[in-house]
This record gives sequence, structure tokens and C-alpha cells, in this order.
Amino acid sequence: MKKNNIFFKVFNEESILIQWNDKVSIKLIDSIISYKNLIEKELKETLIECVQSINSMMVIYNPNKINSKDLINILKKLSTSAFIVTKKKKKIWSIPVCYDISFGIDLKDLSTLNNISIDEIISLHSSTTYNVLSMGFLPGFLYLGMNHKKLYCERKDKPELNIKSGSIGIARDQSGIYPQDSPGGWRIIGRSPISFFNVDDKSPCFAEPGDKIKFQSISLSDFNKIEKNRSSYDIKYKLL
Amino acid sequence: MIKVLKEGLFTTIQDIGRFGYKNIGVPVSGSMDQTSAKLANLLLGNDESSAVLEMTLVGPTLEFMNDTYISITGADMNPSLNKQKVLQNKPLFVNKGDILYLSHSSNGMRSYLGIKGGFNSEKKLGSKSFYRGITKREKLIKNDKIKFAKVTSSPMKMNKSINDFKINRKNKINVFKGPEFDLLDSNSKDIIFNTDFTIGVNNRMGYNLVEPIENSISSIISSPVMPGTVQLTPSGRLIILCRDCQTSGGYPRVLQLDKSSMDSLSQKTIGETIKLKLV
Repeated sequence: MKKNNIFFKVFNEESILIQWNDKVSIKLIDSIISYKNLIEKELKETLIECVQSINSMMVIYNPNKINSKDLINILKKLSTSAFIVTKKKKKIWSIPVCYDISFGIDLKDLSTLNNISIDEIISLHSSTTYNVLSMGFLPGFLYLGMNHKKLYCERKDKPELNIKSGSIGIARDQSGIYPQDSPGGWRIIGRSPISFFNVDDKSPCFAEPGDKIKFQSISLSDFNKIEKNRSSYDIKYKLL
Repeated sequence: MIKVLKEGLFTTIQDIGRFGYKNIGVPVSGSMDQTSAKLANLLLGNDESSAVLEMTLVGPTLEFMNDTYISITGADMNPSLNKQKVLQNKPLFVNKGDILYLSHSSNGMRSYLGIKGGFNSEKKLGSKSFYRGITKREKLIKNDKIKFAKVTSSPMKMNKSINDFKINRKNKINVFKGPEFDLLDSNSKDIIFNTDFTIGVNNRMGYNLVEPIENSISSIISSPVMPGTVQLTPSGRLIILCRDCQTSGGYPRVLQLDKSSMDSLSQKTIGETIKLKLV
């Protein structure tokens, strides 16, 4: 990591914010993940958790075990030490999505807004390989980048009060998956019949930042078939 | 066991929170007023991380199915046991069949009920704190039954009480500069520290402040937030995020409350005013 592009800031009594001024890229996310893994290994005793984001990371620590000044010094050292971005094989998850108008409630508006046919929206969305940039907003909500530029759109001015679980939305250059029913302002283009967050599983969310996701367009009847047995549906992936 | 006869306005089980899952978008949750919750546990000799009941504005009516010890801290909900007034901030012995009444809160918004050994409700992702989508319940409802540990040890000394403990009712709220603070123009900074902000709509996710300030900062790339983060929304209104807040957000983070100010804020309700002070 380049030294002059990284900033450390005391956030509150128990957390340090680390921010990168680099351009958002998959390379940056991968190096934040490697850095996070290194911090988790080296600072096990003092760390409560690291929350990574697209160009920043929050380090939450136990203030009874270390003070912020010492911690920042260690974090700085770790950031400059020559760690290697782990060349772990990446998973590409295949997510079934039904782009039927009854699920994709904003397909028509988006088609008008961006002067693009609904078929083209579906074909662009399901042929893009997305990167899991981060998670947040709701338990298991995935921020995915990046949309084809023809799909670029702002969030809706007025958020919907109840977006259904499994809905796939787009906003700006990202796609997102709603893991539970929720209000939200993303433009909804389809719905997946599978379950994205299972609190009783060892890993409640199937994917993690750094993974990749590809949407696979399915018919309404396939949607119904998968939904009937959603609890036993195994999300398929390939290793890259 | 405790049986819920009346649920009150918004009664939940809380502990010190859920740690290690922010990365997958799970909020920390936990008691809004950590100091009062901790006190409820300490009075009973419990571990401070034991689960307590958090009761909001209007308290519940509860029937005890077993003998135990309890403590009540935080806002004053005029507690009574079998219609006999009881004191807060003091361990109380309750008999099987006793009924505890809690009414409207005064001098604060949230009361805490501690129980000897803590509540034995379901633990999800390392915590018993209620949160929608994580625990089965997001609040208690009538006829719910909550388990607690059987009291096996000999009765504790009953002289342990902290009568002079008062929750912090000052309107001064201490803040640090947030990551986007320096993007504010000097006029906005002045307004932030010289306005008596009125508390608007609020809940465990966040407190809205009514008075708008001029917002010249655009949205940021989605970044981590914490309870106590003060976000500046496009309309110029400030939101103070609380224990159930999301883990990341795209609004500029102009300020960050210190921990003890989070406790005082959580005892304030709609219409009260606060003053932000840089520490």
C-alpha cells in the first residue's frame, strides 16, 4: 500500500478509521481485505472487530488493552510492511434472478429513463460479473459493483416502504440484493427466490467481500419451483 | 419465568451488544443507556453483560412465576410490586406470583429491569439483544414468557443500593469531529455548536434533530458508521445514529458522540433540546 494514500483517524474512544484516497477498484478492495486479515492476526488480543468498506475500514478495539496512539502506530507499521495480497481463489456465485415485470417493479421506469429496452437491461445485468464490494445497510445486504454504464441511475426520490426479500436493485453504478423485506430507494429490476441470510448458519451470509457474483436469468416457473424448496437450495459457485 | 401481562410501549431484551458481525451488516444493538443497564446488573451481582429488559416510555406489567431478585434503573416508571410502591436502584426480592407494574416514565425515557443471573432468552450471533431478522422477536408482546436462572445461592445482602444515582439529564452532548467535519463551511460549524437542537422522531436506530443547517456537502461513498455517528442528510437535518443503526452509510459523518453522551441522549425524548459541544 502506498504510504501517502492512507489516513488514520481516531473515530471515538474505541475505534480508528482508516481511509484510502485511492480510486475505488477491486485491487483496492483486495488489499483492504489482506490488510484486515493481517490486523486480525496480529492484534487478536486488542481487537473487537474490523469493519471493511469500499475505501475505508473501521478498527474497533478494547481501550482497556491499548491506547489509540499506540494502536495507530502498529496499524501504520502493518500497512507499510510488505504483505502480499493473498492470491486466494475467488468464488463466482451464480444467483438465479427472475426479471419478470411483477418482480422488477422499476424496469419500465428505468427503460424510459435510460432510453433502453427492458430486454437490454436484463441482458446487460445478467452478463456482467459483479464484485462483492462490501456488506451493510441490512444484515447480509450486498453492495455489488459495477453496473454497465447504460444502467446508471440515481436512487428513487421517494424510497419504497416495502421492498420484498430477494429483490435485486440498482443505484448509481452498483447493484444490491435485499436479504429481507425492507424500505429502500434502489430501483428494483428483479427478484431472486433464494434465501440470502440465515442467522442460524455458521456463516449467515453465503458470500464475502472479494467474491464475485453472476446473475442468471430464470423464468417465472423456475422461480416458483426454487422458492418452494428455498431452504434446501444450495447456491452454486465456481472457483476462478 | 416471567409472564408478560401487558407489553408496554416498546419492551425488549438487551445486553452489551452483538460483536463481530458488522462486516456482514449486523448492527451492534444492546442497551441504549449502557450505564443504567450495567447498574441494574451490578446491583444484583450479575456479570455486566447479562441480559436485561429495556422499557421505553410506558413500561410493562409482569408476573413472576418463580422467586428471584430484581433491580430497576434508568428513567422512573413509578414501579410498584403488587400495588406497593418500590424503590429503584436497589435489589428487590420478588415472590412467585408477584406482579410488577411499570407506568409512564418521568425524568427520562428508558428504564431497565435486571434479574438475578440475567434473562435466559435465545442467543443469536453471540447476543440476546432483540433485532428484527436476527432474533425471533423485535419486541415483547402480551403473554410472552421469558426464562431466567433459578436463584440457588443464599439471599444477597439487601443493603446494597445506590440511592443517590441519577441519570444524566444535562442537555450538553459531547462530540468529536467526524471524518467529514472539515468539509463543513465555517458558518455551518458555528450553527452546529450554537443551536439548541430539538429532538424529533427517534427510536433505537437514530435520533432526528429538528433544526436544519445548510448542507453544502454531497453524499460520500458508503462508509462505516457507529452508534453515535451524526450524519448530515441532504435536507440539512442531522441524525444521531443509535445502537440499532446500520453498519455503513452514505451521508457525511460530521460528528461523533462520546459514549457517555450516548447514554444521556437515550434518556431524552421528542421535544427536548440538546446542545452539541466539541471535546
